[in-house]
Amino acid sequence: MSANPYQPIKAEVLEVITETPQIKTFILRPETALPYLSGQFMQVTIPGVGECPFTPSSDPKKTDTIEFTVMKAGQATSRMHELKPGETVGLRGPFGRPYPLEKYHGKDVYIIGGGVGIAPLRALLLALFHELDHLNKIEVRLGARSPRDIPYKEELNNWRKKEKTKLVLTVDRGDADWQGSVGVVTEIMKPGDVNFETAVAIVCGPPIMMKFAAKKLLELGICEKNLYLSMEKNMSCGIGKCFHCNLGKHLCCKDGPVFTWSEIKDIPDPW
Amino acid sequence: MNEYFINLNDFNYLICQLTEKAHVVAPANEFNRKYLFDVTPGNVQRIDLSGWRTVETVKGHFFKVAELVSRYFGEETHLSASPLVVLGARGCDLEGINVLDRVFGEGDFQDPFYLVNREKSILIGADCTDCGKNCFCTMVGGQPYPERYFDLNLSVVPNGFVVEVGSDKGKRIVDDYRNIFSKVLKLALEAKTANREMVKAKLTQVNRQYQLEHELAFVHKKNLENPRWRELTKDCVECSACNFACPTCTCFLLTDQPAGKNSERHKIWDACLKGGYARVAGGGNPRGLLYQRLQNRYHCKFDYSYDRLQRYTCVGCGRCIDGCAGNINMRQVFAALDRELK
Repeated sequence: MSANPYQPIKAEVLEVITETPQIKTFILRPETALPYLSGQFMQVTIPGVGECPFTPSSDPKKTDTIEFTVMKAGQATSRMHELKPGETVGLRGPFGRPYPLEKYHGKDVYIIGGGVGIAPLRALLLALFHELDHLNKIEVRLGARSPRDIPYKEELNNWRKKEKTKLVLTVDRGDADWQGSVGVVTEIMKPGDVNFETAVAIVCGPPIMMKFAAKKLLELGICEKNLYLSMEKNMSCGIGKCFHCNLGKHLCCKDGPVFTWSEIKDIPDPW
Repeated sequence: MNEYFINLNDFNYLICQLTEKAHVVAPANEFNRKYLFDVTPGNVQRIDLSGWRTVETVKGHFFKVAELVSRYFGEETHLSASPLVVLGARGCDLEGINVLDRVFGEGDFQDPFYLVNREKSILIGADCTDCGKNCFCTMVGGQPYPERYFDLNLSVVPNGFVVEVGSDKGKRIVDDYRNIFSKVLKLALEAKTANREMVKAKLTQVNRQYQLEHELAFVHKKNLENPRWRELTKDCVECSACNFACPTCTCFLLTDQPAGKNSERHKIWDACLKGGYARVAGGGNPRGLLYQRLQNRYHCKFDYSYDRLQRYTCVGCGRCIDGCAGNINMRQVFAALDRELK
């Protein structure tokens, strides 16, 4: 990080992967390495357009390239979706508090994702795969709108083959070829999936999905301090100065974006 | 010795000397209000340290309305600031600068653009000699005279000023012009104290109808989910004058634009009252309703700030009340919320 915290460093777009009609993964090579931990975010600059906060979706151990999986949602992300290999973007970061992986040791890890919220969870999963010896098991529950909206389709099969790991997918609306579960993600969260008394749960997805997944997890018996939520608000400066991302007394960019439920439960409607 | 006396002629001489080394701003009277003006040796006589704070804040001298913070991808943005003397900052102004110092200067990251402006500045405070109808510094822990965060402070007394030294920067000024600072006499100190007590009493009188039974932080914490917020804020028209007039509002936006072959990033003042302030990509908005945004502003100043900085980030200057297009009086909101706790 340069002394000027607003100055982005250059990164080259190496590859653009179309994951779904609305989601693309960008593989970037930063001019200088930007080591990060899973759950931390960076500001991606689209030159002359603006910045967007994204959590990298790639393995944090891999430092020569960084991947971001981005849904087309607004002006800057629409421009981002037009990026071609060889073009230049900017990066600032990493910012914020990561997932405290060491606290997951010796426990069942229950990961709940929805939509493009799967992206930060990919970085988390890839980090956890390096630590499988220390974990009891990993149970992943992912939801998407339809089969064609599921990113990382091929990679999901690799995750399924990992030891101690189980992955269940659901879609809101199936199609002719869909063999899996149909319904919202909370419908595939069942008692007995993990030992809820001691497990840690990590949720990332659209606000409405986070709200109902958190409610379901608490009903299933997860401890408030073991429920980790990725609260991504409108982070602008990333350094705790501009106050755009306030969540009650917290600033998501520096106190989060990963919060436990016990830290934010007193905030009325934190979603 | 920490206090001196300076007579009016020597004071004018000192300010003229300072204008040769720095940009000096000070209050002047215009239409019975005080505004900051640029002091030159030719207009030193316009300086008026009577009354209360100026209409505008001094924050824009340190935290600029708009500032270039990055030219990418090119050479590093050059950090520079001209020496500045702020003369006549009131207790509320100095408390406000302390909030800015902490927001921009503390934590894992610092804002070098703000800090360079502050490093090059000298703050000369002044006691209020009167108070405005919307002044309420004493309700938020302040006083109508600077107690801290000044380099020098001036108290108006007959024929001159009592000068208090508050920092090494201030001491250097006294040392550099030692011959014009004299020992302060008991009579002058008595006049200083008498003025302070008089303005405090006047503030109590001005705010007597808003006296609260509970601490403001407690009032806000306990009313976080009170439905009365909708009614209390119903006259807000989202003009954001309160944000821009406030000496402690630090919210800003980073905005990028093309500049030749490169791009530029500017840091510009922003306002939490604006509808798009917290909106995220895809249209979600955690504070989509106007009352939620104004309520958030109150909680930011009296509740969240207390947790973050262990102080209120309202200094009681009353500029938000002066400027409000909807005539919302912060003190009436406090009083109404305070009564809810009975």
